[in-house]
Amino acid sequence: MIEFKLPDIGEGTAEGEIVKWLVSAGEAVKEHQAVVEVMTDKATVEVPAPADGTITKLLAGEGDIVPVGDVIFHLDSAGGGAPVAESEPSAPSTHEPAPAVAPALVATATTSVATTTTSKVLAVPSARRVARELGVDLETVAGSGRNGVIRRADVEASVSGTGGVSTVPRPAAVSEQRIPFRGVRRKVAEAMTRSAQTAVHFTIVEEVDVTELVRVRQKAKALGAQQDIKVTFMPFIMKAVASGLMKFPMLNGHLDEAAGEIVLPGTVNLGIATDTPNGLIVPVIPGVESKGLLQLAAELGDLADRTRKGQARPDELRGSTFSITNAGNIGGTLATPIINFPDIAILGVHRIVRRPGVVDTPDGEVIEVRQYMNFSCSVDHRLADGADAARFVAHLRETLEEPGLLTLLLALKIDSMESFS
Amino acid sequence: MTEMLTMFKADGSAPDFNGALDEKALIHCYRTMLMVRAFDDICMKLQRSGRIGFSIPNKGVEATQVGAASALRATDFLFPSYRDFGMALHHGAKPVDMMHNMFGNASDSARGRQMSVHFSFTDPVRFFSISSPIGTHLPHAVGAAYAAQALGKDDVSLASFGDGGTSSAGFHSALNLAGVWKAPVIFLCQNNGWAISLPASGQTASDGYAIKAKAYGMPGVTVDGNDLLAVNQAVSDAAKRARGGEGPTLIEAYTYRMGGHSTSDDPTKYVPAEELEEWAKKDPVLRMQRFLDKSGLWDETLEEKLLTECADEVAQAAKVAEATPGPTLETIFSDVYETLPLHLRRQGEQAFELAERKGGADAGGGAFPL
Repeated sequence: MIEFKLPDIGEGTAEGEIVKWLVSAGEAVKEHQAVVEVMTDKATVEVPAPADGTITKLLAGEGDIVPVGDVIFHLDSAGGGAPVAESEPSAPSTHEPAPAVAPALVATATTSVATTTTSKVLAVPSARRVARELGVDLETVAGSGRNGVIRRADVEASVSGTGGVSTVPRPAAVSEQRIPFRGVRRKVAEAMTRSAQTAVHFTIVEEVDVTELVRVRQKAKALGAQQDIKVTFMPFIMKAVASGLMKFPMLNGHLDEAAGEIVLPGTVNLGIATDTPNGLIVPVIPGVESKGLLQLAAELGDLADRTRKGQARPDELRGSTFSITNAGNIGGTLATPIINFPDIAILGVHRIVRRPGVVDTPDGEVIEVRQYMNFSCSVDHRLADGADAARFVAHLRETLEEPGLLTLLLALKIDSMESFS
Repeated sequence: MTEMLTMFKADGSAPDFNGALDEKALIHCYRTMLMVRAFDDICMKLQRSGRIGFSIPNKGVEATQVGAASALRATDFLFPSYRDFGMALHHGAKPVDMMHNMFGNASDSARGRQMSVHFSFTDPVRFFSISSPIGTHLPHAVGAAYAAQALGKDDVSLASFGDGGTSSAGFHSALNLAGVWKAPVIFLCQNNGWAISLPASGQTASDGYAIKAKAYGMPGVTVDGNDLLAVNQAVSDAAKRARGGEGPTLIEAYTYRMGGHSTSDDPTKYVPAEELEEWAKKDPVLRMQRFLDKSGLWDETLEEKLLTECADEVAQAAKVAEATPGPTLETIFSDVYETLPLHLRRQGEQAFELAERKGGADAGGGAFPL
């Protein structure tokens, strides 16, 4: 009997997460057959069987984080011999070994019981992951890859119904779903918990009249289109944020608790919360204060696109000094965004609404149809105070209500920005 | 980029091929490429199950390795990078001897004192120990070439390295002196697109790598690295120049690493999927196969036979190597001094005494040997 220890799959990895078992206890395997999918800091890989034999026991559950060197399964390489010792108190009940039946019986059982044979379905790992996340049974998906291998797109198509896949329509909410809590979802959870439990959040909300910005952006959009650059409102907001942060640097940076120092980097690296098929990811655009609007638009488009495709480089996913989340354009009037820890603050951007507004004209005050956008700014009160945040959002309002000022800011050097009011 | 030498046409024909390799040699080249893949394949699985610590895949660059080796004699000096073992296989190195190195056992030519994939052979091929540090072996190749020149022998040295290697200090030292001395050396730069995760675009501001030869006073040639016949031709020409006293050549083989840098790397984090798809169409093994097919040298039966032979041989090699015991404790102290100095003899005695009391050392349980 082989006690299979989780190997060091990369150079110096300490632990791995059991993502998915590709075989069940009692199943016969061939040498080099993939047994389990393991995710480490570096990669998600399939770990193969070290010899022909029967898997007698799985010693870790899906989602468990296992240190390198721990035994994760037992393999009876003698070909059907002695069952493993019964005393395994730590093993979860769902991973009990199957009775040590003859190999022929095992084979029959695994082919006749359809619900337990997901391991027989050929699918690439990303397809398996997406299927888990979307609650798709891989057995119902037709694979378009070589030898009928299911690709990720097949799984996604089976849900959206766009593929030529004959799937039985899923009845709505018939039974309780249990979604494994791991991967990106768990990473997001850990980050949010740390932020919410560490930073002392307060949120300030500002209403901005963006009627003029809407007009300017419309023109910028046409200008950008000539260069194949998609110009959204984000570059304007980023520019306003960057100038605000240069002016009120206490909101831009992080707390180095170990050193007992607040770190103010003097440059603005904006984390942009991005909704991806894998969950919330925050890519970072560095040096926003010194970049032009079109350049920001181009970088943002490229980075967001690659992040959604899972192609952002690791160094593009860290180093933010402040973050922006714009899920508010989907819905909602206000929010209390959670800070992208260890940043000091975060800005929530909301959708534009048309409302009547009071406008000063040479003929006095008149009521006009105006366009408004709300901004919700959450700040870590340990590091900055309400007055800092209020001045910052007021600066956002001033610059975004008169976007002409943005072009002025673009031309200004950082030190002279100090004198801008 | 300098104009690129290519032999294979899209339909698999090679009208410019001068017949430098006969039918037997062509099939041998093809078989060697398949053997490289088979060896890679099993090593990946052995590594993922913790039976060996580390491996480096070669998928995509086989034609450069084998094409270069096929243009040289087994008695020439090869100074390989860590993605070059196809050169040794081509000249008769045995997969089982390589597998001994993968397991670091007592039969490993380095007795387990090297990292996995760091093969070295003196027989049947002069294949210097693969070195992990980048570019350090280039000056060695020049030294060996200079020695051959001084001894009046017509041996040629070949140093193989990646695009990343051109940024090393060794690259400059080696090319500079080779140019000055007119040393019989071939510099084979395998521009495979990536230096681990750094794309070629981040490596140099010059127009390709072959052009750098100009600064060192030697010819620079760009060759389609996924075209075995073209690589053979380029290296043959360079070897002829070297043996004729005309000095060194820099060859840039334009190729592509279709897998990770190593078993510790996840290329999906940085390689655009479209780029990989584009290069998969230019897979060097498929292009060679198409040529052999067009020449009437290939059919499904041959393919099946070669694949089975290769898979069986590497599987058998793995079995033998895994069952071979690890190196003895003595090897820590052997093979450096003819007579062991006193201080090392004392250390050795202490180590043996300790081993006697405590039993054998822990094999490491699959941990990476660092």
